[in-house]
Amino acid sequence: MTTPDLKSLESLTRDYAAFQSRKSGLGTALGGFMAVVLVIAALSPNFMGAHAMNRLAIEYLVWVPFLWLALKGGFSRMLYRGLGTVRASPDGTYERRRWFWILGLALFLLAMALTALYAFAVGFLQPNPPRAALCPPPMWILLMPLLYLLPIPWLVRGIEEARVYVVLVGQCILWLIPFFLFSFGPSNPPLRSDWGLFGNISGVSMLVLIYLVLIWGALAMVRGWKEHREYLALLRSLPLES
Amino acid sequence: MGKIESNSRAILDLDRLVHEPARLAILTVLASAEEVAFLFLQRVTGLSKGNLSSHTQKLEAAGYLETVKVFQGRIPVTSFRITEDGRTALRLYHQQLRALLPKEGKS
Repeated sequence: MTTPDLKSLESLTRDYAAFQSRKSGLGTALGGFMAVVLVIAALSPNFMGAHAMNRLAIEYLVWVPFLWLALKGGFSRMLYRGLGTVRASPDGTYERRRWFWILGLALFLLAMALTALYAFAVGFLQPNPPRAALCPPPMWILLMPLLYLLPIPWLVRGIEEARVYVVLVGQCILWLIPFFLFSFGPSNPPLRSDWGLFGNISGVSMLVLIYLVLIWGALAMVRGWKEHREYLALLRSLPLES
Repeated sequence: MGKIESNSRAILDLDRLVHEPARLAILTVLASAEEVAFLFLQRVTGLSKGNLSSHTQKLEAAGYLETVKVFQGRIPVTSFRITEDGRTALRLYHQQLRALLPKEGKS
């Protein structure tokens, strides 16, 4: 038997278990990649002419975070369980940190989504009374961000995953604006309507969100790739079968 | 009683079930997680299937671990969990071994 020392055995087991309890490796990288690509698409010159875009396509885009949650689960099963399931021991400190991050990010998301949707409802739909009847009901506006928050406690396992999920929801919020503008508004919307101080604040918030999504998305790609390499190194460090 | 004699007794008092290198490796891995699949345990310890089965059976008979068998579809999957007795035995073994080792700086 060629057994590594006991400390190595402990750390090998903990590292492998981490990939089944909180690390996603390439799943994280994929999430970052999806967010960056979609935000760059959203920032393309045609973005504000999104009325030309298929409404169905925009509707699909707002489901991207859920698509990522499904893909991440598949990646985790296919790539990081080659040696069977190893359930990690409960770690109270990490759980507390995870919940701190999840709650913080959830509040951030909620604030951003509500700002975006409220800015649209107040700033755009109110000055356009003929189409105001098409405004989504207030409850729907409130429920949309909650829909994104709902799967977090069950499907977002680690801090890194929480960050990626927020990045993806962030890019969805960017897409939600044209979705509402061009789906419910008039065919030639007065984009220069004055939204006052609230409009300026929400404009700056959107700008912050764009940069956050791009930076965090890029970081997620790097971190995910790094995690994947760590996993490969872990497999290489296992003793050869006797 | 001389120091040498007391050390010899302490060595003889070591839990032989834990002292065997393969079983020590198995218990160390199991103590680092909540539940460990047979395949991972086999790869990480470098033991053959037969060897691993024989050692886990001995540890299970002593009440140091428990076997969990589930079906994933039609495939049976075996996993192991360390018991509270197993954790205590491993902790005690570490303490005994540490007490036997010479303190740093002393010859």
